[in-house]
Amino acid sequence: MRQADFVSGVVLCLLGLGMLIFVIPSHIAQAPAGFVSPRLVPNMMMIAVVGLSILLVLKALRGMSYGPHPEKNLFSRSEVRMVLRLAMVFAIAITVFVWLSPLVAGVVLIVGTLLALGERGPVALVVMPATLLLGVWLFFYQLLGTAIL
Amino acid sequence: MEHLIAGFANVLMPATLIWIVIGVSLGYMLGAMPGLGKATGVAVAIPLTFYLEPVAAIAMLIGIAKGSTAGSAVAAILLNTPGEPSSAPTALDGYPLARQGKAQKALKMGLFASVIGDFLSTLLLIALAAPLARYALLIGPVELCAILFFSLTFIGGLAGGSMIKGLIAGALGVFFATVGLELETFIPRMTFGTLELDDGISLVPMAIGMLAVAEMAVQAGKMRELDSAAATIVDGAHPNDRRVTRAEWLRCLPAIGRGTAIGSAVGILPGLGASVGSFLSYGVTRKLSKTLEAFGTGMIEGVAAAESADNAVVPSSFVPLFALGIPGSVIAAILIAALIMHGLTPGPRMFVEQPQMVANIYAAMLCASVIMLAIGLLGQKLFAQVIRVPLRRVIPVVLFLCCVGAYMDSGSIFSIYVMLFFAVLGYFSRKLGFSFVTFLIGFVIGPNLELTFRQSLQILNHDPMRLMGHPVAVVFLVLTVVVVVAIAFSNSRAAVREELAARAATSNPRKLEEENR
Repeated sequence: MRQADFVSGVVLCLLGLGMLIFVIPSHIAQAPAGFVSPRLVPNMMMIAVVGLSILLVLKALRGMSYGPHPEKNLFSRSEVRMVLRLAMVFAIAITVFVWLSPLVAGVVLIVGTLLALGERGPVALVVMPATLLLGVWLFFYQLLGTAIL
Repeated sequence: MEHLIAGFANVLMPATLIWIVIGVSLGYMLGAMPGLGKATGVAVAIPLTFYLEPVAAIAMLIGIAKGSTAGSAVAAILLNTPGEPSSAPTALDGYPLARQGKAQKALKMGLFASVIGDFLSTLLLIALAAPLARYALLIGPVELCAILFFSLTFIGGLAGGSMIKGLIAGALGVFFATVGLELETFIPRMTFGTLELDDGISLVPMAIGMLAVAEMAVQAGKMRELDSAAATIVDGAHPNDRRVTRAEWLRCLPAIGRGTAIGSAVGILPGLGASVGSFLSYGVTRKLSKTLEAFGTGMIEGVAAAESADNAVVPSSFVPLFALGIPGSVIAAILIAALIMHGLTPGPRMFVEQPQMVANIYAAMLCASVIMLAIGLLGQKLFAQVIRVPLRRVIPVVLFLCCVGAYMDSGSIFSIYVMLFFAVLGYFSRKLGFSFVTFLIGFVIGPNLELTFRQSLQILNHDPMRLMGHPVAVVFLVLTVVVVVAIAFSNSRAAVREELAARAATSNPRKLEEENR
């Protein structure tokens, strides 16, 4: 965790500085005279993030200075693979949603996730999307009487 | 009292009761699945309640919260994998009982302890919230700002393993709450020209992404080990293996009483959370036992102590929410969105402005406790089967419902983007040990914190010395400093112990390599 703390501390510190120097000044206008600046709280929070991140980095560095010791991987290869697969399914489903239709996107999301997670049974691949989409339709359109799309 | 009676009359209508039954059943099933806790369940279900009557909607969500807290014992006992971290002490004795063929006995005791803890804690909420709210009405913006600041610091310090990370998460939560039009000047803040962000970031897609989608991504990574553990449990042949005997009841009742008291006290304090309550209760019961060496080998008192405390935390965590408008737990933070959406703003004013609605919620909470007992007893065997459904079939269902829920919040694909953005943030916060609970609570109290801070600046005329005229605020600011120092001191001692333990545990490089793979 020491290395992860060090890296996350550095990233958060840079993010905070970036927000303070570039994003907040360019995306929040100054208030008219007599008002409390709308930048006040965002600035205060980012200053807190930068300060605490520096503390986190220093703490991690102090831990590492005790000498190297083996650390358990926070992101195992199988986990990363799985997350990337899920991200890809979401990307495809959103593209289909925007360019084709929400119904097809729903099918892509369910079937894609099933396939990504290793489901190969044809019955599950057909029955699950059909049941879920039908269930949502029955719940909203029939039971509650409202359209959601 | 008359409001409460009218509340029962409103809740005991078939149209409302059915939603409590659905909520408790759904919650029980969600809780039984590892990783799908009450916060996930409620976050996903909020959009489903958009079109329900307010009482039915809130009753259903409370049913989900209560059902899933009790249901999380199922996975802890049968899989040794708690549905939620707060059920981890349940697994210490529940799983050995299951391995001895006494799974039904452990599940029943878990259910009874849950219902008793939950019911008594709800009565405590009813007794405490309104009187406390009367005092809260006397509090001005300066005091409220100090209390909110103290709560956020306290939660940040305690919610995770590291206070620094907790405070960073809280600060980021408040920061994200500032996105959108600023309320005094109507100046857009960090909207990047996106109209959808003018109203700020919506809590529903954010909570769904951060809690449910991120959790599913984590669960997908350890899918195989969870699935393989489910197939190993069988029931014993003797009838006593499947029921709680009179002697066991007599042994467990003091543990349940203690657990309820500890859980209720822990719930009232913002930020401690159900895990602290259940571990504390388990530890005290173990310490007071004459056979403390037998704990961890299948002592039913361990299950009773942990579950009663775990369930007592939920209702009592609504005390600060109802009395002060401060969410003391993640479930309270998420419920704020639902309550506001259905016309009830949590805080001291709600007891004055909408006493009947508050009474309806109380009645729904008490009914949900009783329904939880009935559903648990009737459906325990069925719910126990839920854990045998492979995760590869559970995750797609949850992700699909997450998308439906997030989309319904605004009727736009933008909500899905928000959900995914916070899912990524939630995934990394879980992996890197940043408390997403503190983040969410920071986000929820952010607008109020900013408003009271601005008002305080004006009231104090930017002069810190004028704080002396607000002794309550001074007390809370001093408490904040004391809490930060105390937690930092205790964390640094714990870190040294962990460092030594980690070095001992990871001294075998081959084992480490296997784990990493």
